Amino acid sequence: MKETTAASENKKSPGFWRHAWLRFRRKKLSMCALIVVFLLSLVAIFSPMIAGTRPIVCKYKGNLYFPCMAYFNADWENPIFQKDRFRKRYPKNLKEKDPDSWAVWPLIFQDPYRPVRNNEWEDRPGNPFNGGEPSSLNIFGTSKGKDVLAMMVHGTRIALLVGFVSTGIAATIGIFVGAVSGYFGGWVDIIISRIIELVMCIPSIVLILALMAVIEQPTIWHMMAILGFTSWTGMARLTRGEFLKLKESEFVAAARSIGVGPFRIMFRHILPNALAPVMVPIVFGIAAAIKVEAGLSLLGFGAPPPNPSWGTILNAGMTNYTEWWQIVFPGVAIFITILAYNLIGEGLQESTDPRLADPKD
Amino acid sequence: MAGYLIRRILLGLLTLLLITMAIYALIRYMPGNPLATDAAMMNPENMPSEEDIQRMRAAYGLDKSIPEAYAHWLTNMIKGDFGSSFAEKKPVLDVIGSRVTNTLLLTVPSLILAYILAIPIGLFSTARSGKSDERLVGVVLYMLYAIPSFIAALFLQLLFAVKLEGTAFELPLMGTKADDYEALTSSEQIWDLLEHMILPVISFTYVSLAYYSRFIKANMEEVIRQDYIRTAKAKGLGPFRIMIHHAFRNTLIPFVTLLGLSLPALLGGAIILEQIFNWPGMGQLYFRSILTRDYPVIMGLTFALSVLTLLGQLLADILYAFVDPRISYQ
Repeated sequence: MKETTAASENKKSPGFWRHAWLRFRRKKLSMCALIVVFLLSLVAIFSPMIAGTRPIVCKYKGNLYFPCMAYFNADWENPIFQKDRFRKRYPKNLKEKDPDSWAVWPLIFQDPYRPVRNNEWEDRPGNPFNGGEPSSLNIFGTSKGKDVLAMMVHGTRIALLVGFVSTGIAATIGIFVGAVSGYFGGWVDIIISRIIELVMCIPSIVLILALMAVIEQPTIWHMMAILGFTSWTGMARLTRGEFLKLKESEFVAAARSIGVGPFRIMFRHILPNALAPVMVPIVFGIAAAIKVEAGLSLLGFGAPPPNPSWGTILNAGMTNYTEWWQIVFPGVAIFITILAYNLIGEGLQESTDPRLADPKD
Repeated sequence: MAGYLIRRILLGLLTLLLITMAIYALIRYMPGNPLATDAAMMNPENMPSEEDIQRMRAAYGLDKSIPEAYAHWLTNMIKGDFGSSFAEKKPVLDVIGSRVTNTLLLTVPSLILAYILAIPIGLFSTARSGKSDERLVGVVLYMLYAIPSFIAALFLQLLFAVKLEGTAFELPLMGTKADDYEALTSSEQIWDLLEHMILPVISFTYVSLAYYSRFIKANMEEVIRQDYIRTAKAKGLGPFRIMIHHAFRNTLIPFVTLLGLSLPALLGGAIILEQIFNWPGMGQLYFRSILTRDYPVIMGLTFALSVLTLLGQLLADILYAFVDPRISYQ
């Protein structure tokens, strides 16, 4: 008897985020979208194991190697393969140079960076260079000889990375600037608000194009930084509003009265309470970043050519409209990804809005 | 009101100054310069002499430091001289002027179309909220909203210009006029232009259509919960009259902000869409002038766009006071 009362006393009422999750879970569409994003992340993480021309694992001259990791970073290719002159052609070289070798190959033997040639894989024809329609070897067809499916699998990595990294940068700047502006108020607020208005006045695509043009050899990381540095204003405004409201509340006065410093109050006490409304534009921001990246790559202003971004495939497709597969497949992929993030954002909005809370739970 | 206007205009001028300064510094920091992208300079048999290059650098203002060159640009701009385009060797105002009509041809119809369609769709969605037909419309709009306009443009091109080629539904892939445009009679010329406009206008319209109608619906939902709507219902007014006369008029307040904010989009067009449709408008001009480092044109376009953005914001605020008597700028 005594134990049960103790147990029920210890049982805390669910916190805000747990409540939100319980409500989010009931939204079928948003949950489906979450699963889609999860699957896309799996594709991105395991992209070299899904499509590639390097073995996932191989035993070569008595040692185990993981050549597929070179797709993440070219420097991760074991020097032994350069020394033995593999030249990125693994199937034949492995057999010729070490008859006892064995290898586990990716699901699809196709490369996102180059066309597969005749007999690279024994008795298998190479990719057609022109008009490579979808076929059993190139399920989504080819783009300038390269397999579209392999490019799209590896492009998932770029798309998700761009979404997370650039929105992460934007959110960090936006939350920090908004918090400082809202909490301190006064002339700090006036100056920061003017800066925000100034940045908002420049059409973002104009600014992004100008910034991309400034960089001599832009990489995908430059682009993520630029997207991040140009899209923080909305989040800053929102955070500022929340902070203006919350800094008047009693828990802030209490914290201040026991001598807590301003930055500790801002980020330990106020921010967790302001996070829910700021999270929603962050999720929508991910979708927007993916869209802008695809658009820039389509203009030829995006990730430099060997990078298999979805937009780069569209760019190739624009030069020849009869090769519809270069437009339809990446287009659908972009659409699904953006739709999924939008649905998650909407679900988050509904499940964190206290006005829509169900009084029963 | 006058005091408010003056304050806003002064603030706007300061903003303009800062924006043009920032963009000017940016373009000067871009690697390469207009001399390097000029095709005539690339000809190995006819390399310009050192003096020629110096003369051209001086003509383009490249010999000055960035602050000096900016001050030069600013003083000329105040006198109404935006300089000459490096690439087209014509005054910037003429270069931009020759493209304004093309952009307006796309954006004005698409803006009008979006409003004309969005208002009834939004009202319909509110009236039949929760019914199966409303949900179908909602899902379709939501899906449309998730397709970036440039992908929709590519899909439309694939469908109407490639797949339906040779049928009655065939539409031109890109450009503004057919190859045999000169030979056509004037009525045929107008028809030809219309045909070329269809796909770009659809691509321009549908994203804002989806956005506006969801916006109207969200605002209407809030308004129809108000007491005065219940009063109107209680005194026996018809649903149509309540919708239009009582509810919709009150959603106009947030709607006018949208109207003001869409002003810069009128001229800015869409860089990506104009590039896809090879439409010689302002967006394409901006893209090309960045590629060729045509400084005066970039500056002219940035200036025009910033002015429009600021004007749009000002207009939205003034309209706000106009439609909502609770707001005044005394």
